Amino acid sequence: MSKLTQRNGMRPADDQETCPICKTSRYLNPNMKFLVNPECYHKMCSACVDRIFSAGPAPCPVAGCHRTLRKARFRAQTFEDIQVEREVDIRRRVAATFNRREEEFETLLDYNNYLEEVETITFNLLNGIDLSATEKKLANYAAQNAQAISANASRASREAASLSAQQAAEREAARLRREAARREEEEEREEREELRREALTRLAAGNQGEADRIAHEMQKIVLKKSTARKQRQQMESLLKPRAGMAGAGGAAASGLAAGADNGSAALADNDTFVIKGLKPTLPVEPEKPYDPFGGYTEHREYYVLKDTYEHPWLDDVRSKPQFLAGGYDVHEYYARTMFEAFSGLCCFVGDEVAAREKASSGEVATTAAAEAAGAGGGDINMDDVF
Amino acid sequence: MKFNIDDLPVLFPYPRIYPEQYAYMCDLKRTLDAKGHCVLEMPSGTGKTVSLLSLIVAYQQYYPEHRKLIYCSRTMSEIEKALAELKALMAYRAEQLGYVEEFRGLGLTSRKNLCLHPSVKREKSGSVVDARCRSLTAGFVKEKKERGEDVDLCVYHDNLDLLEPHNLIPPGVWTIDGTIRYGEQHKQCPYFTARRMMPFCNVIIYSYHYLLDPKIAERVSKELSKDCIVVFDEAHNIDNVCIESLSIDLTEDSLRKAARGANNLERKITEMKSSDAEKLQNEYAKLVEGLRDAGDARDEDAFMANPALPDDLLKEAVPGNIRRAEHFVAFLKRFVEYLKTRMKVLHVISETPPSFLQHLKELTFIERKPLRFCAERLTSLVRTLELTNIEDYQPLQEVATFATLVATYDKGFLLILEPYESETATVPNPIFHFTCLDAAIAIKPVFDRFSSVIITSGTISPLEMYPKMLGFNTVVQESYSMTLARRSFLPMIVTRGSDQVAISSGFQIRNEPSVVRNYGNLLMEFSKITPDGIVVFFPSYLYMESIISMWQGMGILDEVWKYKLILVETPDSQETSLALETYRTACCNGRGAILLCVARGKVSEGIDFDHHYGRTVLCIGVPFQYTESRILKARLEFLRETYRIRENDFLSFDAMRHAAQCLGRVLRGKDDYGIMVLADRRFQKKRNQLPKWINQALLEQDTNLSTDMAVASAKKFLRWMAQPFKAKDQEGISTWSLNDLEKHKEKVEEDKIKELQGAQNGASSGAIGHDEFGDDDIEEALMEVDA
Repeated sequence: MSKLTQRNGMRPADDQETCPICKTSRYLNPNMKFLVNPECYHKMCSACVDRIFSAGPAPCPVAGCHRTLRKARFRAQTFEDIQVEREVDIRRRVAATFNRREEEFETLLDYNNYLEEVETITFNLLNGIDLSATEKKLANYAAQNAQAISANASRASREAASLSAQQAAEREAARLRREAARREEEEEREEREELRREALTRLAAGNQGEADRIAHEMQKIVLKKSTARKQRQQMESLLKPRAGMAGAGGAAASGLAAGADNGSAALADNDTFVIKGLKPTLPVEPEKPYDPFGGYTEHREYYVLKDTYEHPWLDDVRSKPQFLAGGYDVHEYYARTMFEAFSGLCCFVGDEVAAREKASSGEVATTAAAEAAGAGGGDINMDDVF
Repeated sequence: MKFNIDDLPVLFPYPRIYPEQYAYMCDLKRTLDAKGHCVLEMPSGTGKTVSLLSLIVAYQQYYPEHRKLIYCSRTMSEIEKALAELKALMAYRAEQLGYVEEFRGLGLTSRKNLCLHPSVKREKSGSVVDARCRSLTAGFVKEKKERGEDVDLCVYHDNLDLLEPHNLIPPGVWTIDGTIRYGEQHKQCPYFTARRMMPFCNVIIYSYHYLLDPKIAERVSKELSKDCIVVFDEAHNIDNVCIESLSIDLTEDSLRKAARGANNLERKITEMKSSDAEKLQNEYAKLVEGLRDAGDARDEDAFMANPALPDDLLKEAVPGNIRRAEHFVAFLKRFVEYLKTRMKVLHVISETPPSFLQHLKELTFIERKPLRFCAERLTSLVRTLELTNIEDYQPLQEVATFATLVATYDKGFLLILEPYESETATVPNPIFHFTCLDAAIAIKPVFDRFSSVIITSGTISPLEMYPKMLGFNTVVQESYSMTLARRSFLPMIVTRGSDQVAISSGFQIRNEPSVVRNYGNLLMEFSKITPDGIVVFFPSYLYMESIISMWQGMGILDEVWKYKLILVETPDSQETSLALETYRTACCNGRGAILLCVARGKVSEGIDFDHHYGRTVLCIGVPFQYTESRILKARLEFLRETYRIRENDFLSFDAMRHAAQCLGRVLRGKDDYGIMVLADRRFQKKRNQLPKWINQALLEQDTNLSTDMAVASAKKFLRWMAQPFKAKDQEGISTWSLNDLEKHKEKVEEDKIKELQGAQNGASSGAIGHDEFGDDDIEEALMEVDA
């Protein structure tokens, strides 16, 4: 159910030393494990669970507790405090139903009121106040808002997935950076060693009295190299884009998925849970099929393409197998030739000039945009190549 | 003496001034004029505080803005010293000017140091004093009293309300003792007098924490205006202070106590529901409206402040699911329970706040937003419940603070769970560290808010490290050398023992008998030749213990014992202060003593060994931090990725600043003298990281010594120091009278004119071909490369 229970090496708490059912102590059985059933939260060791419930459902062995328990539902306890364990179970149920998000509300106050309402319901379930009424409310709400609930749930899971992906990416990037830094240091050290060796050989080979000059020259080389390296590092750090940031916004920025039909909340019944201040949800427009030309069509305004055009030198092309075998399509040729012939015919200079003048009389900042709109925005025909 | 810096007349309370003091003041004035920040390093014992105060007070009084001075120091004794200096300065000014200026200077310290209440002041722990004081002075207690209920109040605090709020204490400079005495005479609380008078003071002197710790700063230093001059003195450790102020450690014990606190709260809520449900309802209504508590107006008695920094505070209403008191308590219980569960894991975990939050949400359905409001909601609840025994809720408060911080900051923090105390331990004792990695986070509001922040210390090299780590820009960065009439301190680097074996506290060889013996011989030799006190610094307690026991086995201690008394610092502060006292007695009666202490301990920071209390300081080994610590590793990685400071650079910088701090302990003035020995092979390469004033005095011939050479050199030095040395010898060189100062000024003027003329001539004669790197540059740049 969680990372935590999967993590090995949990330390047993001090009070988990003897099983309340069979009184076995940890001293006798060092790998004793305790389990609870979310039905009644009575603790017992795994041996007891096997012994009592292997044959099928059986009543809880704790005196006074007559609930029937099943083996499959026994699990390890996460929290030390059994009350909190139970609370978290209830919260899981409530959270699965009431999963509205802040952006679905018109004002912050509405959202806060909603949160408080949910908290009150949880509290009632926890402390057994108005249990039946609350359960009913919960069920009604779940039934009425099934669509919204599932939409929000899928969104939440998407976000969680993208978050963990992002975290993994960041960890990886950090590891790479760490390695790079180590490499850099190594290189630097090697370089320094190299230079020292070189200086020594030069000193050894040089004449007497030249030592000062050689040392000076070597110093200069060292300095130049180190400044060059520093500059290179700075350049690298400037150029390097921040890794791991790319995958971040994708899922989180996805628009408002909706589909809540809070119209049905009109029943002002006591059993229903009414949320005030929800934003009216707009039905999402169904996505259009993908258009590779971005709105351009092949519709021709000024001419109609005929099936055949009579021209003597096209006859060969239509009939001779040399051409046909090569896959030459004469219709392509028609279309292209006609397009070329008519291109430019639909340019109306007067209109464009007027549009440009109107744009330039406006604000300077928008001129470019307006020009672009004036030039290309009006007619988007395939005929007009300009 | 009186002189002018540019147009500013400065009154300096001594007849003579050191040249570096004058230079320091000039740079300070430049910074203030430019309204920028600066980093200044001035040798210890050259009167940093007095030059700072005299310049800033002169600046305040001369210019019409009357910019307020906030002087932050580290320890109580330093605060006291600064107040005494300020008092002397103001007396001198009054005498020179012929009238008393309208001026208020106050020191602020904790309630524990200032309390006058007969029973509260007897409490030992500071937090108990705070809590008890709050229970006697909180606003609701007073309301109860007015309603005729029988509750205790603090008379001293109540008397303050009878006075004029802007004139609780007459003008003048008030030392801590002075404030207490005045409070006793007039039956008024010194702590609240100081707190409430802060807006009306010209100079405030208090501890770093009042400005850096957001939990306190929000309450204490909120009202200070933007043009204040903020000074951080002894600031070489400021990055650690910043980090500590935002880090929290949770243990199993504190979580248990927090859970108990939450249960108590729950009980109180049920009680109040039956007796006074209206109050809870009022609080609830207020929270619904999103109003901040009206009682905030004077919240000096508040339970706790929000730990997040001011610009991160959310100005919106508390989320709905923690609005009701019982919901909030259940929320807290769940969170504490979750933390307890985390504590049970038996392997080390380090994770970022976002991943912690994600896991928390998966397991307990606690969202980030209510978590952010945790601290604030708890404060409001405690105020509504009118709790008086607040000290019981301290662990709960810590958890709430943790919650708010973890939900507020994504970057610059790390959560580390360490199940075992040490590598070898088998019984788990888990600690959950929430560590701040970025020193710039805590100090950023200070730089944003105040136009001039001055960071100064005796040892703050390399200067450029601090602006980098703390994220600010400086207008002036300066390190001053020490002008000396004679060579009054002898720094030496000893790299070998007399047998020519290299000595080092490096991990591989630190416990080798030859190294230990060589260190022992070094100590023995110096104990023979040094008069009076010797201070020895070790890199860590652990190493100190092992080396002392080995010395005992080698018979070295017996030999040293013949010459000096041996005293040892321990982690226990009581024992240490006893050792210090004995050490002082032994030094005073002429026998002399050796104090063995640790470079990051209490002695190395803030305890002076002036004159005969310290004639030699031996630094055994480079005081590196414990590099295997996970917190340090995380911080190193953070520094590398964020500020591009390499691990080794930072470690070396940190070690050297502590070494320099240790060395600076023995030299507290110009008439003082002392020997400084750095005993490690690795110091040879690190000498450029020492502060300028030490590095300048470290001659080439005194580096890379063996023990016998060092002893010979020290003998010669001590003989030279034994010659009579009169104050007159220093005049004109290391101390200036007014005449010398005038002469210096004239000379500077002349130099300037010459330079200008030279520049004109140079310009006419055409540019001289420059090599890419001049020779001087090469030396300097190479130093950097080596470092």
